[in-house]
Parts: sequence; C-alpha cells; structure tokens
Amino acid sequence: MHPVQDFLNFLILGLTRGSLYALIALGYTLVYGVLQLINFAHSEVFMSGAFGSYLVVNSVVEDGSRPPWYGVLAVIILGLTSGGLVGAGVAWCLERVAYRPLRRRGAPKLAFLISAIGASFFLSQLFGKLFNRLNNNNFPSFFDQNKHVVQIGGVYITLMQAIIMVSALIMMVFLDSLVSRTKLGRSIRAVAEDAPTAALMGVNIDKTISRTFVIGGFLGGAAGYLYGSALFFSNTMGFIPGVKAFAAAVLGGIGNIRGAMLGGLLLGVVEATVPTAPWYKPGWIGIEWTDVVAFLVLVLVLVVRPTGILGERLGRAA
Amino acid sequence: MKRRSVEAEARIENLKRFGACLAGGFVLALMVGTQEGTQQDFGYAFRQSVAMPRILIFLGIGVLLYLAITFGPRAKPYLTRPGLRPLGAGVLTVIISLTLLKWTDSPQINTGKFRPLADAAAPTQALDSLARLWFGSAFSQTAWLLLIIVTVLAAAGMIRRSAPLSYAAAILAGVLGIWAEYASAAVSKFLHYPSHATGGAVAMLGFFTIAVASLVSARSQAAEADTDGFIDRVLGWRPGLALVVLGFAVGLVGVFNAAWFSPGDRNATLSTTASMFGATNLNGFAQTYLDWLGFVLFFVTLVVAGVASYLRHRLLAYAAIVLGLVSTLLTLVVVHDFSALGGKQGFDGAQGAWDNLGTGAWMTCAALSLFAGAGYLVLKDLRIEAKGVRAGSDIVGSGTAGARGQVAAATMLVVIIAALFYPPTATEFWQTVLVSEIGIYVLLAIGLNVVVGWAGLLDLGFIAFYAIGSYTTAYFTGRLPVQPPDWLLLSPLACIPFAIAACLIAGVALGFPTLRLRGDYLAIVTLGFGEIIRVIANNANGFTNGPRGAFNIPAPQIHLGPIHLTWGDSALGFWYLLLVLIAIIVLLFNRLENSRLGRAWAAIREDEVAAQATGINTRNVKLLAFAIGASTSGVAGVFFASQVGSFTPENFVLNNSILVVAYVVFGGMGSLPGAMAGAAVLTWLPEFLKDQVPAEDRQMWIGALILVMMIFRPAGLIPARRRKAELSGLDRPSSAEATAVPAGEGM
Amino acid sequence: MTATAPEQQTAEVVYDVKDVTLRFGGVTSLNKVSLQMHRGEILAVIGPNGAGKTSLFNSLTGVYTPQEGSITLAARKGDTLTSVLGQKTHVINRMGVARTFQNIRLFPALTALENVKVGVETRQKSGPIASMLGMPWQRREERESTEKAYELLRFVGLTRRANDLAGSLAYGEQRRLEIARALGTEPGVILLDEPAAGTNPNEKQELAALIRKVNIEDNISVLLIEHDMKLVMSVAHRLVVLNFGEKIAEGTPEQIQKDPVVVAAYLGTSEDEAQAMTEGLEVQTIDVREGLLDEPGAAGTEGGQS
Repeated sequence: MHPVQDFLNFLILGLTRGSLYALIALGYTLVYGVLQLINFAHSEVFMSGAFGSYLVVNSVVEDGSRPPWYGVLAVIILGLTSGGLVGAGVAWCLERVAYRPLRRRGAPKLAFLISAIGASFFLSQLFGKLFNRLNNNNFPSFFDQNKHVVQIGGVYITLMQAIIMVSALIMMVFLDSLVSRTKLGRSIRAVAEDAPTAALMGVNIDKTISRTFVIGGFLGGAAGYLYGSALFFSNTMGFIPGVKAFAAAVLGGIGNIRGAMLGGLLLGVVEATVPTAPWYKPGWIGIEWTDVVAFLVLVLVLVVRPTGILGERLGRAA
Repeated sequence: MKRRSVEAEARIENLKRFGACLAGGFVLALMVGTQEGTQQDFGYAFRQSVAMPRILIFLGIGVLLYLAITFGPRAKPYLTRPGLRPLGAGVLTVIISLTLLKWTDSPQINTGKFRPLADAAAPTQALDSLARLWFGSAFSQTAWLLLIIVTVLAAAGMIRRSAPLSYAAAILAGVLGIWAEYASAAVSKFLHYPSHATGGAVAMLGFFTIAVASLVSARSQAAEADTDGFIDRVLGWRPGLALVVLGFAVGLVGVFNAAWFSPGDRNATLSTTASMFGATNLNGFAQTYLDWLGFVLFFVTLVVAGVASYLRHRLLAYAAIVLGLVSTLLTLVVVHDFSALGGKQGFDGAQGAWDNLGTGAWMTCAALSLFAGAGYLVLKDLRIEAKGVRAGSDIVGSGTAGARGQVAAATMLVVIIAALFYPPTATEFWQTVLVSEIGIYVLLAIGLNVVVGWAGLLDLGFIAFYAIGSYTTAYFTGRLPVQPPDWLLLSPLACIPFAIAACLIAGVALGFPTLRLRGDYLAIVTLGFGEIIRVIANNANGFTNGPRGAFNIPAPQIHLGPIHLTWGDSALGFWYLLLVLIAIIVLLFNRLENSRLGRAWAAIREDEVAAQATGINTRNVKLLAFAIGASTSGVAGVFFASQVGSFTPENFVLNNSILVVAYVVFGGMGSLPGAMAGAAVLTWLPEFLKDQVPAEDRQMWIGALILVMMIFRPAGLIPARRRKAELSGLDRPSSAEATAVPAGEGM
Repeated sequence: MTATAPEQQTAEVVYDVKDVTLRFGGVTSLNKVSLQMHRGEILAVIGPNGAGKTSLFNSLTGVYTPQEGSITLAARKGDTLTSVLGQKTHVINRMGVARTFQNIRLFPALTALENVKVGVETRQKSGPIASMLGMPWQRREERESTEKAYELLRFVGLTRRANDLAGSLAYGEQRRLEIARALGTEPGVILLDEPAAGTNPNEKQELAALIRKVNIEDNISVLLIEHDMKLVMSVAHRLVVLNFGEKIAEGTPEQIQKDPVVVAAYLGTSEDEAQAMTEGLEVQTIDVREGLLDEPGAAGTEGGQS
C-alpha cells in the first residue's frame, strides 16, 4: 500500500472526470449567463454528442484496428468535432423549440424549466428509439486507451486520461479567449450583463442567445464524445453527469465561465479523492458515497458563499 | 429600396417556416417509426423511419401544417363561427373512441377496440341487426361513414350559416349518438361479458357534442363564437340543471341498461337481478328496492332536482339533497345485501359482498349524487344572490364571476362524484393505477404545490420527504433492521404523525441553512438533498436494509370500538382511504391559501424585498412552506409504504422529484385543482398510452406533450388566479411611468 | 445650521442618525451624515440625483448596514431609542417603520385589498394550523384584517378598486395603495421614497393632501424623499439637503430656499433644477395658503367623509 501514490492516481482520475464536468458545466453556465435559466436539457445535448460522434467514428475506423498515431489523432479530432457539431445542432434546435417561444410570451421562469424537462425526456427517449436503449454501447477501440503515457513511480496517466484532459484544456482556453476577445464574446457578455441595454446598443439578442447555445452545445457534444469513448454511451447517459456538471457550475458561481471550469475540476477531484482517500483508514467511506460527498461539498460551499466560489456574473469574470 | 428588403425578409421568414414545418414532419416520422435495434444494426430503426414512402407521408403532414399556419388567418373568420370549436371537440372525441378506446373487454375480441370488434361483429348473424349495421356494411364500417357525413353536414351548416343544415346535422348526430351506445350495449349483451369498456359511451358523448354544436350554430345570430361565454351562460342559466341532465343520462343507463349483478358470465340488469333474487330469502327492503323502489327513487329524485333547479326553489333544493343522498345510501345498502347473499348462495360462483357487481349500481349512485349536487348548486346560487343584494352595488361584475363560480362548483362536484363511483366499475388494472400512480402523485403534487406554486421555491428533491415518510413507516412497523421499542410498534396509519414530524424536522433542517439561497441555487441544493437521502437509504445497510429495501409492511387497520376496518385485499379499499386523505388535505390547504400565511407566500413570491419591508419574516414563511410541503409528502410516503407493502430505494430516484415538479407546473402552478389535474393527467396518460404506443415510447410522448403544453399554455392546465395575473403582463406600469412625467416637471 | 423644529411638533426624537458613513467598494455614498427626526413632523430629504437619498433610506430600513456611525429609532410613542444597525428589514418594520418604494413594489397579482391585508396581517398572531382548522380566533383576525384593510383603502380613496388586481390599477392609485399597505403595519414612522414620481399634477395634489392627512390624522412621522419641489415645499415641515453623500443644509422650507449653499449645489448640477428650486418657492407660498384655507377637496378623499 502506497497511500500517497494511490491518492495521486485518484487525483488524476478526479482531474479527468473534472475536466469533463467542466466542459458540460460550461454549457450550463453560458446559457445561465445570457438567460438566467437552468438549461435542464443540456444533459441530452451531451448525450446526442456521443451518439452523433459514434456514427461518424464508427464509419471511419473499425473495431480493433490499429492506425498509426497521426491516424488516431485525426480520428479523435474528427470525433470531437462531429460530437461537438451534433451537440451544437441539438442545442440550437432546443433553443428554437423549447426556449424562444416561451421567451416571446414572457413565460415565468419555471415554465422554461419544465419545457426543458419535457425536451430532455423527449430527446433521451427519441434517441433510445432511433438507436437503441442498451446502456453499454462502446466506441470502436482503435488505440490502447490504458497505455501509460506518463509514469512516475506508481503514479501514471493513461492515454485516454491524457486525451481528455488535453482536449478539454484546449477547448476551455479557446472558449475563454472567444468570450473575452471576439465580437461575439463581447455581445454575449453584454447580453449577460444587461440584455435590454445591450439591445439598445445594437446587439441582436436572439442571435446572441442562439449562438451561446451553439457554443455550449459544441462543448457539451465534444464532452459526450470523450465520455463515450472513455466509458460507454447510452440514451440515458446524460442524466448523472448533467446533474453533476450543473452542481459544478453552481459551485464555481453560475454564469461565470472560469467558475464553471474551476467548479468542474474541484468537484471531480473531491469526488474521486475524498471517498477513497486511503490514508484515513482502510475502506474509509467508500466509493458508493461519492454522490453524497459531491453534494455535501456543494451545500457547504453554498452555505458559506451563496454565490459560488468565484461569484456570479458572466460579464465580469470572463 | 426599403420596401423590397421588407419583402425579402417576409420571404425568408416564409421559407424558415416552411423548413420548420418539414422538420416537424420529419421528427414526427421518427417518433412513430420502427423500434430500436442493437448496437450491431445501430441506426437501423432510424433508416426505417426515414424510408422512402413513409417519409413522404410525414413531409406531407409538414406541408399541410405549413399551409395551415400560412393561410390560417385567411380562414379565421370561418373558423370562429359559433359551434365550430365544439364541433371539432366532438368529432375528435368520436375519432378517439373509434380508434383508441376499447369497445369491449371480452377476451374473444383481441384488443377490444372498434376495428377488430367491427370485423367480428359485422358477419355475426345472431347479433341485433341495427348493431350489425353500425359495425359494418359492404363499403366499410357504417360508423365512420356516418361520422364523415354528419361532420360535413354540421360544418357546412356552420360555415354557410344555414339553419336547416345545422338542424339536420343536430338531429342526425343525436340519432347517431344513441345508435352508438345501443350497438355497444347490444354487443356486450351478446358477448355476455361485464363490460368496463367506455368506447360506446364516449362515442355517444362525442356525437351529442356535435349535436349541441349544430344546435348552437342553428340558433345563433352572431358571426363570431364566444364559446366560453356561451358555456358560462348555459350553465349559469339554471344552476344545477346541467347536473340534472347528466345525472338523468347516467342514471337512465344505470337503471335500465347496465348490469347490476354479474356472477359468472351473467349480466343482470336491475330488473333481472330482482327476479334472480325473487326466490331467495333476501331481506324485504332490498327485494322491494330491486323490484320497484329503485326506479321510483331515481325518478322521484330526478323530478325533485329538476324542478328545484328550474324554479330555483329553496325547499325543493333541500329535498333534492336529502333524497339524493339518502337514496344513494339505500342503493349501497341494497347492493351490499344482495351481493353478500349472492355470495352465500353461490350463484354461478358469486364471491360475496361487494363482488361481482356490474356498473349499473354505481351509475345509479352517481346519478343520485348528481341530483343532490344539483340541489346544492341551487342553494349556493340563492346564497350568492342574497349576499349580492345585501352588499348592493359594491361588488362589481358579480354576475359573470357568479356564473364562473357555478361552473367551477359543478365541475368539482362531477369530479368528486366520479372519484367516488367510477373506480368500482373500473378494471383491476385501472384500480391499481388509480391508487399507486394517480392518487399518490396527486397527493405529492398537492404538497409540492405549496412549495413551488405558492411560495415560489423550486424544490427538486421533493421525493426525499416521501422516502422519509416511507422509511418512518417501515421503522415504526418494525420492518427495518433497527427496531423501535416494542411498545412503539404501530399500525401504519398511526405512523402518520411520526412521519409528519420526521418530515417537518428534515424540511426545517434542509431549509434553515439553504433558504436564503436564490431560486436556482435552492434547486440544486434540494436536488442534492434528494440524492443524498436516496444514497443513504441505499448504502446504510444496517439501518435501512440497503438496496433490498423494506418489505412486509402491514396494511393499514383501524380498530375503533365497534368499527373494524382493514385494508389489503383490493386496491379499491386503498383508493377510498386515499380519497379521504386527499379530501382532508385539500380542505385544510384550501383554507391555508386564503389565510394570512397564503397571502404572505404570494407576497414573497411576487416581490421578496417589498414583502420584507412590509414586515414579513421571509425566512420563517419560507420555512413553513417547506415544512408543510414536506409533511404532505411524508403522509403520501406512509400511505405508499403500507399500500405496496415493500419498497426499495429505487422508488425514490431523482427522476420522480422532477416528475412531480413537472406535474405541478403542467397543471398550473399555485392552483390546487391545477396541480391535482396536472398530476392526474400526466400519470393517467402513460397508462392510457400503454395500449396505444409501445411501452418504451411513453416517456417520449409525455416529454413532447409537456414541451408543447409549455409552448402554447405556459400557465398550465388550470392556471391559478394569482399566477394568471402575473403572466398577463399586468406587472409594473413602466410605460405609464415613462409617459406620465411631464417635461420640465420635477428636479 | 441648527435643527429648528416647528413649534407644533414635539422635540421627541424618532430617528437619530449620527455620523453615518456608507461605502460600496471605493464609492462613498453617505459621508458622515447626521440628522434627527422628531415625532410628528414631515421631514423631507432632498438633493440632486446621486446625492445618497435612497442610500440613506436603505440604511434606515436595514437594507444596507453603514460601516460607521449609529442609527437609533423610537418609532412609536413611548419607545426608547434602539439601534437599528444590523437589524433585518422586517424587524425594523416591526419596530414601527413602514416604507414605500421609488419604483412601486406592490404585489401585482394580489388584489388591492389583499395587498393591504398582507401589511395588516404581519401584526397578527394566528399560525398555519389555526388557519387550516379555521379556529375561531383565526376567523376573528381574518375579519379584523379585512375590516382594517377596507378602512385603509377608504382612507386613501381606493374602496372601489378593492377587488381589482393591484397590477391593474392606475399609476397614482398604485402609489396610494402602497401607502395604504405601509399604513397597514401600524407604523410610527413612514418613509416615502419619491411618492410623486410619475404622477400627474392632479395626482400630486391628492398625494400632498394624503401625506398631510397621514401625518395629522394618524399622527405618523413622515420622512419623504422627493424630487418634486412643489410637493416638498408644500408639505414638509423641515428639509435636509444632501449632496454627494453629505448633508449640506437643514431647515424649514423658507430657510432652505434662501440658503446659498443649496442654491449653489443645485446650480452646480443643472440650470433646470436650480430654476425648479426658485419656482418651487413661488408655488409653495400659494400652496401653503391653499392648504390653510381649505383642504383640497379633490384630494383622494372619496371615502374620507364617512
């Protein structure tokens, strides 16, 4: 037993999981920023990304084939983009169908939530109907996911973990600069800060909201691909990661982009390390308490800091 | 230049709409497409769904939709003709009865729906010839043909505003309605099978609606319909008369046509039952009732209630109430007597008291209660009138409000009477559904409505309190690994106070630190709480028995002096227990809504800052909402535990919490009848759809329904008065503020 | 600049504000403000936009807690001065301070009657269980609150709108309803935040009469923030002038209008406002005379006779 070594391995596992949470959480946080609404159907965007990318990846590589490294890289990038695009498309439709009509009517906030819940049920079951309702679909295996790319003593990072962390990092950096540097980013921030004023300044609110959904959907869909290829995918896969990612977004301060990233990573790490932390005593609280720990941390943080770790506003912190 | 760009914009808009409609058709094609495959033939179903000939049909639907949206405004003057909306409703009702509903429960007909029944009935020579004609002819089923004819006739009458055509349509529709029910009854008589099927009755209802619609159109002078106003006027004209008419229709079938006693495959109507028991030693009163008193009671009450509501006569109204209730009770006593005797005598395998009953007795009871209800409405109307006279002109517009109130009261009475007398006539499957799905979720929705609807707090972990209630019951009945002391072992119903206490404590413990959080944060924290409770239930093996859950929880019992009530044999008993619970809670909460606390909730929901400045202790008030909602959920938990007898943590998954929120919002946030209706509809629908769509697709359809509902009616099924005002944009007169400041005024 | 309370008011202190400083981040919105409000007076706080008037209000009602200084309160007759710093808004309300808002904050989906009842009922005792069971004392309280609410609606002249939704009332009516709701909590002090904003001249007159009526008939001390000089000069007994978070003047309307510092402050902001200042002087004299001769009949007194 090497407690420290185990801890580090769990820490890496937590970081991997956390970067996926962060990617999904960004979708929640972006939408919350511009609409002050929880996009409950975002978990289905994540799910659809997995299915979409599977269709593409499966038609490109065969299960068990071993393409050269640049081939692997190309397929992964293809998977990420196709997952992202499908996610973006679904998110765009979602905004059009489940949100915009209600916005036009000035419906109460809860009505949005319920229409999103309806959309979530609908999408998850429609995908189940169209493809399948098995809960353990796998992507074709075309590289050794468990190869240790970095190994220091007993601490290692597997290839899949590295792929997840690196691609998540790249996307997050990209998003951060998109929001802080580009014109689109400026209009997103303007809408988040004060939509009526932004409209007066010539920002097209509808378009901005639509694009925000698309960006969030892209990240969610790409996360769907990563999650699906690391573990499994199914039509109901979205729910649990969705809830966790939402918790992560709140943890970091919902509406705050960097907060979502931080919250995701933090939640992933806490979840992976605390219940298993081996140096306390053998079988300390056990893996089955993961969810409890995650939510307890959330509650504690919120009780101490009601607006999350980094505070709320999308406009200010990004 | 500018004009052109407007045109271009319109064209783009048009194109977008066309695309959206086609996409809608495409999605619809996917939704009704073939079932899923495996990972190997992944996407097979998808390819099948978009296979060539099928997709054309659905794209065609999309095109039709597009045309309807684009040219809808042009057709609007015709679409608002009086009677057209009710006509649509009637036609839809008939179509539903002909396609979706069962016309018989007999296992001889495979699904029991209209089509297979008609195929079987048309060539059966022994069947009544009129009924045979209804089910078939050389061309197709006569029913469909006649439906089309009557629809065309009625629609033509309305659009051309021709009274003769409308009268013809009305007469035809009336005849068809009777014919439909007659054919249905003939089949059920022929098959000798006690029928729970509703197809014939619903078809009759639909045809009658068409008839009424045509009559309205024939009599109406107006070019535009005011359906709601019309209904208000009709129902408000003579309060109670609608109930009398309904009771008359129901009772007529009950007394003359429907089966009262059906042991084995016999279907004895009231008079046949009388002759069946003629030779036995059935007690004198029951025999008299069966022989003639039943008919007399029905007609006397009918006449009294009818005259009372026509003349708005106080004494007669009291008489109708007393007569209606007493004869309902008498009917129940008689039913008990003869079914018990039948069981003792072993008529064709009759099983004893309250068993082997047909629908007749229950329909008669319903009719008699409806007469009593009519009497009540008359009294209510007289009371309102007296009040109005006293208050003088102060109450503005009490006329329409009064009519509205009467409609609401009448609807409520019908619902209550249906809740009392429909379940015994339902199949066992539906009885179970009523108890373990509809009833329980109605109770939960009532509880959550306090939190979400009244206090405006989004609680996504509501099911946790339900779980706490269930586990409390399991504990106090000694079915958990940890045992209470012997002297504290309780019967399930006695657990209710403890469950309420446990939920109150849990609600306050959760609410105290978290209620200062804003809406969305509260949502995620409560969601987390729900998850935590479930995970604890799943993992704390020593206390909750882990994933195996609790089992063998006894059914409720009441021993109070001479009264001994035990539950457990049938779902029906539980239904009435649940009905009592719901009734008590609704009565209490109804008072609460219009009390000091109810207004304080509305105040913090509307404007928390203003509420604080008005001296409301917002945290306490919110905590109260949380605690009261939680304890309702706890009561539901107690009931659930003792009804199912065994449960596992899987009964309390997060999804259920979200579903309850969806029910409340779907029904109409903040409206008690709305929340109940929402829960009832959304729990009933999946079970109903069970026969119509593949079981796995049910959630998909429900999801789509919720989505569509929120898009077109975000205030819910039965919007709350207070919420409705919030939605109709009455908020702040910001425009008044902007315009009312004269230039140069102020500093 | 000494506090010179008009003779008809007692010298008893209701609100005692001493050296209050309130900062938001780097911005100081109140800087060492001191003022005393006496029982039974109508005290107006005026000042250009951004002078810190609303900040002062929010500090007085517990929405903000100032970093420095002290605020003590003895709202009702016989109360001893108690600090309000750090108290929650609803507690301060219970101590006898009611307020209205600059941008009207009614409960729009409740009827006018219910709005007032909410205010009245915060002084009642019956709990949820009594309400659910319909206990006799709860019914009595309910009846009492309805009667009291009707009385208040009559007082502000809204009896006819009692059963209309608050959101559907006209602007001036909403203003009056807000005052009725505030009165429902039986305050010793009422704080009115720009009650005349957005009302037309007619409504302003009604409002002025209403404020006087509240002050005289109910013997409630009134603290008023108002931009409308005519109104302020016609109803206020005493004025406090704020500028950039500091108190620059205090005194009777006549004193203030002649005060060079005040005029300079207004000149410094805009000519229009300065003009309004001097205009207010002329109009004020007329108004006061009117007020002395006869209570304006049109002024929101539909039910006032009974």
